[in-house]
Amino acid sequence: MTWPIIVAVAAVLLAPLVGGLLRGLDRKITARLQGRIGPPVVQPFYDFGKLVGKSRVVSSKASMAWAWSYFLLTLTAFTLFFMGQDLLVVFLILAFAGGSLAFGALSARSPYARFGANRELLQILACEPILLLAAVAVYFQTGKFTVCSILEANQPLLPYLPLVFVAVLIVLGIKMRKSPFDIAASEHAHQELVRGVYTEYSGRFLALMELTHWYKIVLLLAFIALFWAQPLWVGVLIALGAYFLELWLDNIAARLRWSWMLGVSWSLGVGFVVVNLVLLSVVV
Amino acid sequence: MSGEQLITLLIFLPAVVALGGLVLKGAAAQRVVFVPAMVALMVAAAALALQVLPREALTFTPPVGWENVVAVLKYALIAYFLYVGITARNGLVLGLAGFLAVLLPVVQFGVLGGHVAVEPVFYADVLAVIMCLVISVVGGLIVVYATDYMPAHEAHFKLAEPVRTRQPQFFFWFVLFLGAMNGLVLANSLPWLFFFWEVTTLCCYQLIRHDLTDEARGNALRALWMNLIGSVAMVVGIGLAYNSAGTLSIQDLISGGSAPLVLLPLALFCLTGFTKAAQVPFQSWLLGAMVAPTPVSALLHSSTMVKAGVYLVLRLAPGYADTSLSLLVALFGAFVFMVTSLLAIGQSISKRVLAYSTIASLGLIVCCAGINTELALAAGIALIIFHAVSKGMLFMAVGVVEQQIGSRDIEDMDGLVARMPLLTVAAVIGMLSMLFLPFGVAFAKWAAIGAAGALAGGYIAVVAFLAIGSAAALVFWSKWLGRMLGEVPVVADEKKPVSAYGSVLLLVVGAVGLSIFVAPLVAALIQPALSTMGYSQAFDVSGWHLRTAIGVFPPWALFLAVTAAVLLPALFARGYRGDLDPVYLCGVNVNGGSVQFTGMAGKPVLVTAGGAYWKQWFGESRLTPASNWIAVLLLVALFAGVVLR
Repeated sequence: MTWPIIVAVAAVLLAPLVGGLLRGLDRKITARLQGRIGPPVVQPFYDFGKLVGKSRVVSSKASMAWAWSYFLLTLTAFTLFFMGQDLLVVFLILAFAGGSLAFGALSARSPYARFGANRELLQILACEPILLLAAVAVYFQTGKFTVCSILEANQPLLPYLPLVFVAVLIVLGIKMRKSPFDIAASEHAHQELVRGVYTEYSGRFLALMELTHWYKIVLLLAFIALFWAQPLWVGVLIALGAYFLELWLDNIAARLRWSWMLGVSWSLGVGFVVVNLVLLSVVV
Repeated sequence: MSGEQLITLLIFLPAVVALGGLVLKGAAAQRVVFVPAMVALMVAAAALALQVLPREALTFTPPVGWENVVAVLKYALIAYFLYVGITARNGLVLGLAGFLAVLLPVVQFGVLGGHVAVEPVFYADVLAVIMCLVISVVGGLIVVYATDYMPAHEAHFKLAEPVRTRQPQFFFWFVLFLGAMNGLVLANSLPWLFFFWEVTTLCCYQLIRHDLTDEARGNALRALWMNLIGSVAMVVGIGLAYNSAGTLSIQDLISGGSAPLVLLPLALFCLTGFTKAAQVPFQSWLLGAMVAPTPVSALLHSSTMVKAGVYLVLRLAPGYADTSLSLLVALFGAFVFMVTSLLAIGQSISKRVLAYSTIASLGLIVCCAGINTELALAAGIALIIFHAVSKGMLFMAVGVVEQQIGSRDIEDMDGLVARMPLLTVAAVIGMLSMLFLPFGVAFAKWAAIGAAGALAGGYIAVVAFLAIGSAAALVFWSKWLGRMLGEVPVVADEKKPVSAYGSVLLLVVGAVGLSIFVAPLVAALIQPALSTMGYSQAFDVSGWHLRTAIGVFPPWALFLAVTAAVLLPALFARGYRGDLDPVYLCGVNVNGGSVQFTGMAGKPVLVTAGGAYWKQWFGESRLTPASNWIAVLLLVALFAGVVLR
């Protein structure tokens, strides 16, 4: 019982470091792909510190409350995951966190924030079925829904769940808010969305959003790493590969419509998982 | 009191109170009679629970004379339906009631050969007791709520004949409903079940048409004919069941092993359940039922009527375990869950959203019965309880909102928290309890997805439907929930009628409390219900965690985390005394406010931000026809699978 707690505490402490560095790499690589030099890799930490030091500007009390709920619920899901708990529970709590982000944006009377909030909900509509079905796929291979069971299994998941893996990559793209799926909050404010779901957050609240985002990305990459947990370092490499694949896609793709996103994630995403499960139950 | 007396009391007390209520005029007199009567009903249900829990089940067979009374009343009911069909010139009601009037004697005298003694007539096991508790507690609170709602409703809504109040009739059907429901869930004899079934149909018909507008009359007739389809299926099923199994006892029927000959009547009974539970393609009667006063919707959606439908499907589940019927029931339920959740996204009328959400939850319960493992059945029973509490509460809350702001449109509920803080917070908790872990409804979803995932084969489609449906549910609830919390510059103006608010708040406490103590609830009621139904135990509840063979759900730990995550920030934000800044309007806010921005030629433009409904994807005109046809095909497949095997 003590080991999972130690792992979880270590993960909670280290995740901001990893998440921030990954974001830094993201900005560096994106800059290089665009022919710029780009900021230093630790720039996200400088930005974070700067944001925390700014004075508080809020347009709605409820937005403030939901911002913290978003952070704390994401942290709850994160902790449960690294304690090796039930994947369905983790994903359902993560959905609660996503809902909180949308509630916070809906609470402000800002057209941009509400626009973003509704799109954020559509993103959840696109992601959630794939994640839940991916948990079912894990059950098909390991006989349990828990993270522990994946680590205790004696063979990696990926050779048996290749299509599920592809579907989870779609989710990663949506959760990373990368093109072509960056419909709820754009990277740059000078667009029709402004910052979408983040529009009404600034200063320390924006810092909180950024921190939560880091936790979420690390959580998803950790889930992807579990596709090759024997040994785990292969999985970590695969997760990093997936991360850079998304960056590359981001730089060659434009933002597309929400209906396109929903179509892709339901037809390809859900479809792939279902086909994979059917193949698994027919062949094995 | 003995178990027999309690069973009698649970059925007769509402009937007697209903008759007595016919002479009551005015809210005060109604309250004096109904509140103690409802408390007595709740106590009786609890007492029955205490008697049943230590043993397997209680049985009770009333004296033979009652058989004749019930038989006569059955024909009287059908005669009344015929009369309705004739006076309303409704061909469907007339045709179905007429068919029933011919069919019933044919089955009774042709197939059954007159009177068939069923032993026992009433069978109170733990499942029935859970239903009684739900009916009496949630239903009772709705009756208390109605004593506040109805006078205001009548004052506000100019009735067709405003000279005479119709409240006595309203409360007569309303309270009688509870007695009929109690009888329905306790009945083991199929003819008695049929009788109580028809009484609930009658009560429902009368309550929907209560306002006597053309729309109310029309929708009541639709509810009647759709439910009569179920009645016909049930009578045919009774005949076939007796023909093939030689018994009219539900317990004998479902414990006799699933011989193929018994499966057809079971499938017919499931169809009967689907009509009552307003499953697609029969959803339109429940959607139309919202023309009735809100307490009726609260009652129909939470503890009575539709719950009778899913109760029957769930009750029969052991009878069709491990058959193709079970898979098709699961597929059908999961499909209904998915498609009605998607339909709810496109709705802006709050009651319509609630109605679709009810149909979806019932679909999920049907699906659980079809998955038919101990985990799924536990999820189904838990869902009956949690859904009744949350949905009853939400309907009552929306009713209060409608009376106070004069609209049931979600667009008009923007920033409701500023106008009606107490009720809005209650409603938000109610909504959270419908959709997120660690609350009970989401716990049931977790269990259902786990249970369906644990079965391969055709259940892969079931789990895919469930996954999409549960994501869709998240969207339609969240959109609505977020709208109510908006920052709006208005002053709080909330009237707080005691009975109405008391009922709503008690159910909120119930929804949260039951969710926190879900492990003891599972251990004390749901697992015993499973074992009397012949299933093994679904959960290991040691340490108040809910551990299954395949996963784990830690309710109280999650509650601690989620309370800290949601409540603490809310309290801090409430105490925030700093200034609120204007929202971002491209820097052209008029006078530095959030209300207007400077538009073309320097003119101020009002900021508006409506809700999103994405009708081109989720509208009724887009989804309903196709989903009706698919549901019909699934039903055809369901019967084809049973007949052809």
